[in-house]
Amino acid sequence: MNFNTLLKKLMNKSDSKDIAKKRLKFALLTDKLEIKTDTLGNLQKDLVEVISRYFEIDNESIKIDIQRSEECSALIFNTPIISAHRQMGIPAA
Amino acid sequence: MDGKVIVVTSGKGGVGKTTISASLGAALAMQGKRVAVVDMDIGLRNLDVVMGLENRIVFNIVDIIKGRCKIKQAAIKDRRIDNLFLIPASQSDDKDAIKPENMIWLTNRLRKEFDVTLLDCPAGIEQGFKNSIAAADEAVVVCTPEVSAVRDADRIIGLLYAQSITPKLIVNRIVPEMVKSGNMLSHEDVVEVLSIDLIGLIEMDDRVVVSTNTGTPLVLQEESKAGMALKRIALRLDGHPDLPIENPMDKKSFWKKLGSKFNRKN
Repeated sequence: MNFNTLLKKLMNKSDSKDIAKKRLKFALLTDKLEIKTDTLGNLQKDLVEVISRYFEIDNESIKIDIQRSEECSALIFNTPIISAHRQMGIPAA
Repeated sequence: MDGKVIVVTSGKGGVGKTTISASLGAALAMQGKRVAVVDMDIGLRNLDVVMGLENRIVFNIVDIIKGRCKIKQAAIKDRRIDNLFLIPASQSDDKDAIKPENMIWLTNRLRKEFDVTLLDCPAGIEQGFKNSIAAADEAVVVCTPEVSAVRDADRIIGLLYAQSITPKLIVNRIVPEMVKSGNMLSHEDVVEVLSIDLIGLIEMDDRVVVSTNTGTPLVLQEESKAGMALKRIALRLDGHPDLPIENPMDKKSFWKKLGSKFNRKN
C-alpha cells in the first residue's frame, strides 16, 4: 500500500474503481431483469386464457406488473373474480 | 482438415476490435498459419486501412456472396506477411446485404482454403453481429476496463452462449498506473464481473496509434508491448492454450524497480 492509498483509506474515500464495480454489478443485474415491451402483454393474454377456464374474471380490471426492489423482483398479477365456473375441477380436454 | 472460424467482437465500439483482428491475423500468419481476416462491417469498413491494404481493394465480401467474383479475387494478399489475406467489406452496400446463411456458406468455403478465418465483427448487436456469430466456431470478446465496455461485453457474452459459443476475454488498454491508484478496474475485477476465461491482457500502448497511422502491422514492432501481447494471444488461440498470461501490472513494477536501481547507481 503506498502513501496515497493509505491516505484515502484514512479519509474513508473509496477508489473510483470500486464505485465503477458496484455500479457495473447493479447495472448488469437490472439489465437481466429487463423484458421486451410485449412480454407482459403476451403473458397477460396467456394468464387470462388459463384463469378463464376456472373463473369468470373481468378482463378490464386486470393488472399485471413487475415490482423491483433492491433485493428482488416480483411479478404482481391482480384480478378480481366475478364468479367461479361450476365445472371447476373438470378441465376441458 | 477444415480450418476454424473465430469472431472478434465486443458490443461497444472503439474498444480495439479492428486493431486486434488485424494484429491477431498478422501474428497467426507469422506463426505459419494461412489466415483470412474478414471485415464484417458492411457500409463502414475500416479493417483495410488498419491493415494498410486500402489501395488494393477490387472486390469485397458482398461481391463474393452475390456471385460477382470468386473468393480468390476478393482476398487481398498482404505483401509484408506471407499467408495473410484480407477480405474487405463493401462500403456502398446496406447492412442487410448479407444474411447469416450467406456467412455460413462463405465460411464453409474459407475453412477449405485457410487454417484460420478471423471475423472482425462490427459494434452493436444488429445484422453485422448476427452474421458474424452465425458462422463462428470460437469467439474472442474484447473489453476495456470501463463500465460501459464491460456492460456491453456481458450482453455479448450472453448472446454468444445462446449460440453455444463459449467466448474468451481480452482486456484491452490497461493503464497499470491507474489500476494501481485505484482509478481503473483491474483485469481481476473485469473477469470477476463477467466470469469468463481470459485469453490475454493488453496494456495501453501509444504505438497502436502510430501503427494505424501508417497501416503497418503492430506485431512487426518488437518494441510494442501491445504487439507482443497480441502475439502471445495468437499463440494461445492456436495450439498453445496454456501459455501464461503476462500481467501488465507485474511488468511495470519490474521495470520501475530496474529503473530506480539505475537511478541510484548514477
